[in-house]
Amino acid sequence: MTNKILLLSCVFIPLAGAIIAPLAGYISTKFRNALALAAISASFIAAASLIPVVLAGNTITVSANLPLGFNFILTADCLAVFMATVSSFICAIIVLYSFGYISHYRNQNEYYLMVVLFLGSMMGLVFSANLIFLYIFWEITAIASWRLIGFFREKRDILRADKAFLVTVFGALAMLLAFVLIYQKVGSFDLAAIKLYFKTTPVPDIAVILILLGILTKSATLPFHTWLPDAGVAPSPVTALLHAAVLVKIGVYVFARLFIVTFTPSEIWHTIIPALAAASALVSAGAALVETDLKRIIAYSTVSQIGFIFLGFAVNNTIGIAGAMLFILMHGLAKGGLFLCAGIVEQNTKTKDITRMGGLISTMPITALSFLACSFSIMGIPPFGGFFSKYMVFSGAVGGGNIYITLAFLSGAVLTILYLFRLFNMVFLGESRGNLAKEGSATMIVSVAVLATMSLAGGIYIIYPSSFVAVAVKQMVGM
Amino acid sequence: MHILLIVIGLPIATGLAILSIPARTKGLREVLSILGMAANLVLVSTFFGKDIYLTLPWAGGGIDLSFRLYSFNSFILIAAAALGFLITLYSASSMYGKGYSRLFLAYILISFGLVNGALLSDNLIAMLFFWEGLLLTLFAMIAVGNKNAFRTATKAFIIVGVCDLVMMVGIALAGHISGTLSMSKMAVPMTGMGGLAFLFMMIGAISKAGSMPFHSWIPDAAIDAPLPFMALLPGALEKLMGIYFLTRISLDIFKLEMHSWASTLMMTVGAITILVAVLMALVQKNYKKLLSYHAISQVGYMVLGIGTMTPVGIVGGLFHMINNAMYKSCLFLTGGAVEKEAGTTDLDKLGGLGLKMPITFACFIITALSISGVPPFNGFFSKELVYDGALERGRIFYFAAVLGSFFTAASFLKLGHAAFLGKLDSRNSKVKEASWYMLIPMILIALSCVVFGIYNGLPIDRIIRPALGNAIHGGHSFAGFPKNMALVAGTVVVLIAALLNHLYGVKKTGKGLGAVDHIHNVPGLSWIYDKAERGYFDPYNIGRILVKAAALILSSLDKIIDFFFSNVVVWAADTTGLVIRKMHNGSHKMYIMWSLVATVIVIIFLMRTM
Repeated sequence: MTNKILLLSCVFIPLAGAIIAPLAGYISTKFRNALALAAISASFIAAASLIPVVLAGNTITVSANLPLGFNFILTADCLAVFMATVSSFICAIIVLYSFGYISHYRNQNEYYLMVVLFLGSMMGLVFSANLIFLYIFWEITAIASWRLIGFFREKRDILRADKAFLVTVFGALAMLLAFVLIYQKVGSFDLAAIKLYFKTTPVPDIAVILILLGILTKSATLPFHTWLPDAGVAPSPVTALLHAAVLVKIGVYVFARLFIVTFTPSEIWHTIIPALAAASALVSAGAALVETDLKRIIAYSTVSQIGFIFLGFAVNNTIGIAGAMLFILMHGLAKGGLFLCAGIVEQNTKTKDITRMGGLISTMPITALSFLACSFSIMGIPPFGGFFSKYMVFSGAVGGGNIYITLAFLSGAVLTILYLFRLFNMVFLGESRGNLAKEGSATMIVSVAVLATMSLAGGIYIIYPSSFVAVAVKQMVGM
Repeated sequence: MHILLIVIGLPIATGLAILSIPARTKGLREVLSILGMAANLVLVSTFFGKDIYLTLPWAGGGIDLSFRLYSFNSFILIAAAALGFLITLYSASSMYGKGYSRLFLAYILISFGLVNGALLSDNLIAMLFFWEGLLLTLFAMIAVGNKNAFRTATKAFIIVGVCDLVMMVGIALAGHISGTLSMSKMAVPMTGMGGLAFLFMMIGAISKAGSMPFHSWIPDAAIDAPLPFMALLPGALEKLMGIYFLTRISLDIFKLEMHSWASTLMMTVGAITILVAVLMALVQKNYKKLLSYHAISQVGYMVLGIGTMTPVGIVGGLFHMINNAMYKSCLFLTGGAVEKEAGTTDLDKLGGLGLKMPITFACFIITALSISGVPPFNGFFSKELVYDGALERGRIFYFAAVLGSFFTAASFLKLGHAAFLGKLDSRNSKVKEASWYMLIPMILIALSCVVFGIYNGLPIDRIIRPALGNAIHGGHSFAGFPKNMALVAGTVVVLIAALLNHLYGVKKTGKGLGAVDHIHNVPGLSWIYDKAERGYFDPYNIGRILVKAAALILSSLDKIIDFFFSNVVVWAADTTGLVIRKMHNGSHKMYIMWSLVATVIVIIFLMRTM
């Protein structure tokens, strides 16, 4: 019973918090901030306390029966709990950072409403075991991201927010069509029923294509990725949220949930999806080497790294899947850290143009070191966590048997080292080409330092996440 | 705690402790670093002759934290620890009072934890974890140098890091083929993907050793990084690790055949590295930079020796690895002593230091004779073994190696002459001998070069042969004076030629520094030298240009895609809207037209279905 309450609180505390937080803002900003952080932390604690339960092999289900296959079902298995824990932890750090970052801007009530709602709907999405509710939560995240990207009310910002919204909603509608298609065959939106049905029957390719449209637009993969760099106009904690904790990870999560746990698409997709991911990883890495806008570079890096996650999930072997899951964790921590560092740099130097920075390590050493640590993790340098996830994904790719795709990703990984070093050197080392701004506020520094330390700890104590992931993978592939 | 874990953890913990010591406490960090390295040396010395195996659970999927201590890696561990201890002693003295000494000493200790870990690991991913982790200290140790050192540090990081990534994929391939990641259990055939796996892992190994074409950061680091860095990493540790791993993959994991393409490839890489790097070393006018090119060139002998896949070549390559680690680090240390006392390593500004710094000069002479392959010093014996192996596989490799020796000898004659003989520059009249903390490490290493030469049976029979096992050398001993007198005669001829060449050059230009100008100025060659000095042939620069071009192409692809979303889609939506709006203009004619068209479509549809 307590487990069911924990599961429900994961989803509904942030959803309720989203409504209360802005109201609290009319009383006191401090109270509102604390409330927002408390809602997200509560969700994190609830998700984390489910870890031992799912590790023991149990799954927790809460359901309310509704007619026509629209049953509201929340299920907590290893994959869902993993995703929920990672997302809510990173989200909590980002909210902590926001206290400092967002405090000089208008519309703060709206900001906290949308951030908490964002996490709440993400939680709803990962635990949903019904396609329709999955879709509903998916669209709530779209709305929240739309408002958050357009947080600054300049015309350009609004246009970029519209672009993000339109692209992702286009994908979501395509996905909805696929869900209807599946419903016609199975007669239910219930994932368990769908899984049972497709055990014997192959999944129609048209459904796979339509679902992929949804996933690729949300996870910003070629050719639907360009909204993500454009979304860099948002405040930095928002971009961190989009890239590290919630938005783009939704796509890969649903990929794992549907294409690995629920049904297996036909053989050809195990080549098409990695190939697409490879193209995405290369094109965006190339763009990251050319761009000069701090946040756009990091955004392209996300597009590139998402390719690795797709690769791991799509090659259809256990080490690849384990690698992809670890990748979600390590990339989330490191990418969140990078964006939060970028936020400190951008806010204090008043520019995003890296050609007008340089030498900042002398005035903001903690930010610089945190940035470097997070970069190392993304490059996959030991002892940082990214090393293991990168190796496992490569190992999975090799096991997948297509050497050309592996080599394409190797080039992608090489480019990753190059663009991250270029970025670090341009911003933090050498002669200053702009103003030598001061270090960020205490909460901001603490946030980036925590994420950098976690990236390091993720590698040194790899045994903990990896043993959890090992159990999760067994459960996912039904061994 | 297990003894193997202590050997990894203790240096790292000491390093972190040094980092956390407040900057104003003088002397404590120096003492701590020397003690830490001494403890490391004592610990690994107790390993000699032992076999220890340890496995701990780790990241799953075949990745466990497994270590195996046996004869081969225990000797490399001791060599590394001994050199590391001496170089730390030297650094603590030569850097005393410098702002970065605290960082540098800490990085040495941390590096040693990683080196020990990499050498002890049996699981390939555990090995890669420590091996690639060295990138961090590599970057940090170079970056603490001068103001522009971070550029060189980045270059080093990128070159070595990319090769490590390539090796990671190689390991993934080898692990997939053999079904295990444990080095002692692996057996990978060289066919198909196995060949690719070998190639990728070989790239990782020889890039660590500093072989061409992955060498170009080393001469840059010679100028920008603190000198003990050069003695420690490119001079000693990286060679030990790279060649150790190259031997492991060639003999243990892939079991190469003598006449395989991989063997020929390694010999070719080795021969080219020997020649090209030594030709670059020949014309350098800076003490440290000249040595750095030799640090590259000497790897060629080791790669060539192991690449022959003959027993004598492999033994020679490994013996050369250990000899090179000794004389090369000592040579760098003499360079550091000169730099500290004279304030420069620019050969133009040096000269006549031999009388002012007699002990440094003596150490230089011994190690320069060793590297030039003059009997009875250690370099002579290992080079003869490599020659023997090379000749067995093909004359061309032998000639490349011998020609390399000619240029090596010539460039050291030039270096010694320019720095220690000749007229004393007036600016250097106050130069004195280096401190004993710096001299003792140099003396000890120089003496070992003599011992390893005269008593070469000690390293060959006691250390290298047991490490390789009977299957490789078939019980044959390679110690003592070379059996093949023709080879020895060839070496003597080459050395005399180098001496004559030197005398000719000095007579022509009147100074030691000009001893090889006649080679430098050969038409055509001088043009190549000029371009090479400007970095035209630097694979890193070429790679940068290629990557830049690729990135521009990829990025324009991205722009095209974005154009589609931001312009084409918007235009399509606008146009559709416009067309539909025009259709709703309120005119009766338009609506009648609509109805007619719709009726026609319905009729056609009905006719087709009937």
